[in-house]
Amino acid sequence: MNNKSALLNRRTFLRGTGVALALPWFETFAADSPRRDKTPKRFVSVYHPDGVGLPLKSDPAWEDWSWFPHGDEKEFKLTKVLDVLEPLQSDITIYSGLSHPTARKVHGHSNADQYLTGAATGGHGPYKNSISLDQVYAEYAGKFTRHSCLVMSTNGGVGGPRGAQTQSFNREGRAIPAMNKPKQIFDMLFVTNTKDAAVRLARSKSALDFLIANTQSLGRQLSKHDQGTLQQYLDSVRDTEIKLAKAQRWIDTPIPEVETRNLHLDAEPREARLYFQTMYELIYLAFLSDSTRVATFQLGRENGEGPHDLLSMAVGLGGAHGLTHAVKKPKGWENLGTYNRYQAEEFGRFAQKLKDTPEPTGAGNMLDNTFAMHGSASSSFHLSRNYPIISAGGKNLGFQNGRYLKFGKGNEDNQAGAGIVSDAGWRGKIEAEELPLAQLFITILQRLGVETESFAGYTGTLGRV
Amino acid sequence: MKTLEFAILLVIGSVSAILAADTPETPITLEQAKDVGRMKSRFLKAAPASSQPILAIPKANLAYFNQSVEPLLTRNCIACHGPDKSAGRLRVDELDPDLLTGPDVERWREVYNVLSNSEMPPDDELDYALADADRGGIVDWLSGELNKASAIRRNQKEHSSFRRLTKYEYNYALQDLLGLPYALANKLPPEAASENGFKNSSELLQMSATQFETYREIGLTALKRATVSGERAKPVTYIISMQDELNRAASGKNAKTFNKNDEGYEKNRNRQHLLNRETGQGIHFSNGKSTPQPETVVEQTSTVSPVVLILPRSNELKLNLDRFLPDEGIMRVRIRAGRSSMNPDEYASLRLIFSAHTSNNANFSNTISEHDLAVTASADQPEFIDFMIPLGDIQRNPFRKLTTTFPRRDEFLHIRNVSNARGGNESLNLIIDYIEISAPFYEQWPPKTHTDVFFDSGNKNDEQLYGREVLTRFLRRVWRRPVTAQEVNQFMALFAKYRPEFSNFEDAMVEVLATALATPEFLYMAQRVNPNPDERHSTIGDSELATRLSIFLWSSSPDDELLKLAEQKQLREPDVMTAQVKRMLADPRSKRFSQNFVRQWLGLDGMDSVVHVTDSSLREAMQEEPIAFFDEVLRRNRSIMDFIHSDFAVVNERLAAHYRIQGIYGPHFRRVAIEPQTNRGGLLTGAAILTMNSDGKDSHPLKRGVWMLERILHDPPPPPPPNVPEVDLTDPEILKMTLKERIMDHRNKAACISCHSRIDPWGIAFENYDALGTYRTRIKNQPVDATSELFNKHTLVGMNGLKRYLLTDRQDQLARAMVHKITAYALGRPLSFGDHADIDDLTAQFRKADDRLGDLIHLIISSRIFNSK
Repeated sequence: MNNKSALLNRRTFLRGTGVALALPWFETFAADSPRRDKTPKRFVSVYHPDGVGLPLKSDPAWEDWSWFPHGDEKEFKLTKVLDVLEPLQSDITIYSGLSHPTARKVHGHSNADQYLTGAATGGHGPYKNSISLDQVYAEYAGKFTRHSCLVMSTNGGVGGPRGAQTQSFNREGRAIPAMNKPKQIFDMLFVTNTKDAAVRLARSKSALDFLIANTQSLGRQLSKHDQGTLQQYLDSVRDTEIKLAKAQRWIDTPIPEVETRNLHLDAEPREARLYFQTMYELIYLAFLSDSTRVATFQLGRENGEGPHDLLSMAVGLGGAHGLTHAVKKPKGWENLGTYNRYQAEEFGRFAQKLKDTPEPTGAGNMLDNTFAMHGSASSSFHLSRNYPIISAGGKNLGFQNGRYLKFGKGNEDNQAGAGIVSDAGWRGKIEAEELPLAQLFITILQRLGVETESFAGYTGTLGRV
Repeated sequence: MKTLEFAILLVIGSVSAILAADTPETPITLEQAKDVGRMKSRFLKAAPASSQPILAIPKANLAYFNQSVEPLLTRNCIACHGPDKSAGRLRVDELDPDLLTGPDVERWREVYNVLSNSEMPPDDELDYALADADRGGIVDWLSGELNKASAIRRNQKEHSSFRRLTKYEYNYALQDLLGLPYALANKLPPEAASENGFKNSSELLQMSATQFETYREIGLTALKRATVSGERAKPVTYIISMQDELNRAASGKNAKTFNKNDEGYEKNRNRQHLLNRETGQGIHFSNGKSTPQPETVVEQTSTVSPVVLILPRSNELKLNLDRFLPDEGIMRVRIRAGRSSMNPDEYASLRLIFSAHTSNNANFSNTISEHDLAVTASADQPEFIDFMIPLGDIQRNPFRKLTTTFPRRDEFLHIRNVSNARGGNESLNLIIDYIEISAPFYEQWPPKTHTDVFFDSGNKNDEQLYGREVLTRFLRRVWRRPVTAQEVNQFMALFAKYRPEFSNFEDAMVEVLATALATPEFLYMAQRVNPNPDERHSTIGDSELATRLSIFLWSSSPDDELLKLAEQKQLREPDVMTAQVKRMLADPRSKRFSQNFVRQWLGLDGMDSVVHVTDSSLREAMQEEPIAFFDEVLRRNRSIMDFIHSDFAVVNERLAAHYRIQGIYGPHFRRVAIEPQTNRGGLLTGAAILTMNSDGKDSHPLKRGVWMLERILHDPPPPPPPNVPEVDLTDPEILKMTLKERIMDHRNKAACISCHSRIDPWGIAFENYDALGTYRTRIKNQPVDATSELFNKHTLVGMNGLKRYLLTDRQDQLARAMVHKITAYALGRPLSFGDHADIDDLTAQFRKADDRLGDLIHLIISSRIFNSK
């Protein structure tokens, strides 16, 4: 590897004057520089559709099968839905009273699209989205790794507008296709064929060299003042060159070798347990090898159908979406709770694995340097309020766990939609006050090292987080 | 000439008569105010100093200062601006009277502004009132000294219009270059406006690596769209014949047909249905399903079918096209349509919407036609209406290639009748008999966009020779100048590197051409240093002039004619230039000037953050009005005093309804005469201006005042000081106050008064217009109080008072502001003190040309400043 980048070193040194190079230099050669031991900061978001079970307090099921814990910030008891997370209780935080304001009166089934973006995607008519939380971070952290992000879902692709099958949207608001086949994901991460990429890179490099020469000859015909303006263009071309050099370096860098014995790359959603665990394992391996620091994973799609419904069969239940409609039937809350419990269990297994793995740089364990989020864009009855959100880890980023953070006012017991008790209520009057989820996103970004004061037009952060 | 003098005498005569009769009960009309104000112009009195040749070494005229100016300042100003009291931190006794070498030029400019705008001494300081002749003496002296100082600065300081193209200029340049009529540059990040409101200001147009990469990506994608390789792709074609649809629909099991001759037809007449005009058979019809034609070449029906679709206002035909439309290429939607009735007050137009409903709550439906297309033919002689839609740019159904049937894969095209038809028995409906949808659609093969790049040549078989030909032609248009053989050779060297990677010449050449689209000479407006070092502030080159001209008037690169004239060094010849400017203004591309200049000048982007206008057709009309108004004044070469007040408005049906102007029909903007009671006329009362300068619920005098000062008077207020106290809206005492009282309260705080007393009075004069720009006489059952007192103690009574004051006393300032704004836009750089003399000179010429907007464009283009670096 060092041999192969020798050419680059020389070229860069020849051109390497001025401020423009200083920063990218370190980024490009981070792995070779003294900053190599810098511990990665990671972000992962797992989305599950259809919300969770939130019976009224008067319902006998409330005690055991309400998704949210009972109690207050420090002293709280997990119900049967989340008790699988008890071993991790000091590493997790549970949030209530948060939602994206522009979606509060849109049917929950249309809202997976905006969970990480906070955009006003609406329920019908013209459609426009904006950049998602993970992609804001990927723009920043992507330069340190071979892949800027890992985007996955059980259903794959982008889905349809208001029926997203991906959690990630780029700066223009376009959906980024999610991968759903473990074998493909593994090959992308660990068996890349780099021939085409190398040819494309070489071509780009010739173009950039050409543009630099062309610009310099133009510069000689300009006034001193205008040369200064042109310098900015030249710097941009050179920054791009450095990016190319970095891409070249990844092509030249051997792909990390990972332990594959436990991987079942042919797993499909119908073998839900195996599939879930394989997908989580792939995120784990991608993080462990520092192939990326950003991942999203969407379980199923809103409104069921397709591979999504197969997931709940893992716990012996019918179609996942159907469970949310059957809560008023005998054992209805329990069945939905059991499915949500299973989702939490798999998330917990992933978090535990990160916790059990020491950070390769020695800075605690991997979970301490990872902010892992698990949630949905609706609570009960497809109401787009009070998103059920768990986060795990992030201790070294400044997150204090072991807490149950209730935000907003008027729904302290987290009863279904604050008074709305049926599916027809999604348009209903909003009785309880909730805070914008984007304010949590701003905190997350800041702690991951992104300098920002706003997200999706919202400003400010949440207290206590 | 005689008659002209006579006319002037007459005007003066009538003016003095008016002045004599000027009592508060009968104020002069606004049109009279225009004449009165014009008489006061300083620019029309004497030849301005700067029009005389500037001496090699200008000298300060201190003798006149000592003799005439200083005594006046001592008598009229020093009491407030002297050792005893220095209001505004100004002491006139300490200003260095040598403007050429002294340090006080900026303060003198302020003195000049307040004196020439009659802002000082204040109206109520009778003891210090300046006689007109005295004021004129100081202003003339200052004007001459400022111009001399400005000329010196101009020669010393280097300023530059070398700049990157704005996002919209780049988009137009690429569109015009490649012949692609749709938006190409949406991927570029948005651009901010500079302090003077303009987005084309050289200092703001930055470049970054991300931006540079986006240029590369856009350029390559656009070239790949413009050129083709391989065989012509077979188009997918859908044909919807109303005859077939009727046969199918009527043969359905539960088909409910009716007949035109039945008694009950009345209730179906204005519902959407298929009708056989010969037999009278009809059936309701709003959803069709179509599959592509088998590969036989589609035959164009020339005979109009007797079976037609009756499409009433706001109805739409929804066509299920299944999943067969290609991913890329142009989709042509061709509709043969006519009108059921020809009442000129009614219009009907077609709009295309594209949708999919992939599962329960997952759906979208987006308008894909850029404009509604009007149907003008009669039903007896219907005409084809064509829409061209780039399929790669619209939201598609992502599931269309699924092998399973869920989520649903179909895509839908909606054809909608957008109309102002008013119902009734003979209501205007659209009559459609034939629809054809075809993609990818090519007018010819290979398409013109391809042959514009890869043209026919005898050397086509020699890649070296032909490559040079292609590059020479392409580069000349990209770089807006002739190219040398050596420059072409450099590109051929790149081509040689690429060629082995591609199977054919075109594909490799497209990569090379894409590189040309990322060169600084395309992305920037370059100005080469004059090789002759003696010429210090030399003129720009001929090609550079052609570019500056076309960027100014077309927001794009010069066309072939301009390039040719520049290459032949003829463009600078006055007759040639005049003819070219006329040609350019007559070209549809000049609409881009009205659009981009007016949007930036008036800050119409402010409408984008307005959320209280919920009717989208009203919002669009509001945004279009100032542009249409400006365009009207430009095309008719009218005086810019029309911007302050005009006895006409430029409106469409929606906006006319908003303004309560009767009898205007149709979506297009046109000039209409208005009565004074409409309380409109000019730009200030435009709904967009009033709406964006409100707080969403009510008017916002402060925003409106700032807007007036910045945009119209070009006298921007300083930014608020950092420690300015916020208005405490939780204070119950403050909540009780009316808005005007609240402003007064805020203003009376010491930190605020000095600025606010200059801003607020302008805005309060707008109080008769609410947050949507609707005229009102009462606010919450209180009469509107739109009376305010300017800083110079002049009283403004509402909008008419404001207009009258501006037209009577501020014409010079208005004219100079206009010259300043358009010149800054034309040059693409902020103007500085070094430009003061040039702007003064232009303003004098402009005023002598009766402030005519069309003439101003010609004046600017032939001015020294426009032809200099």
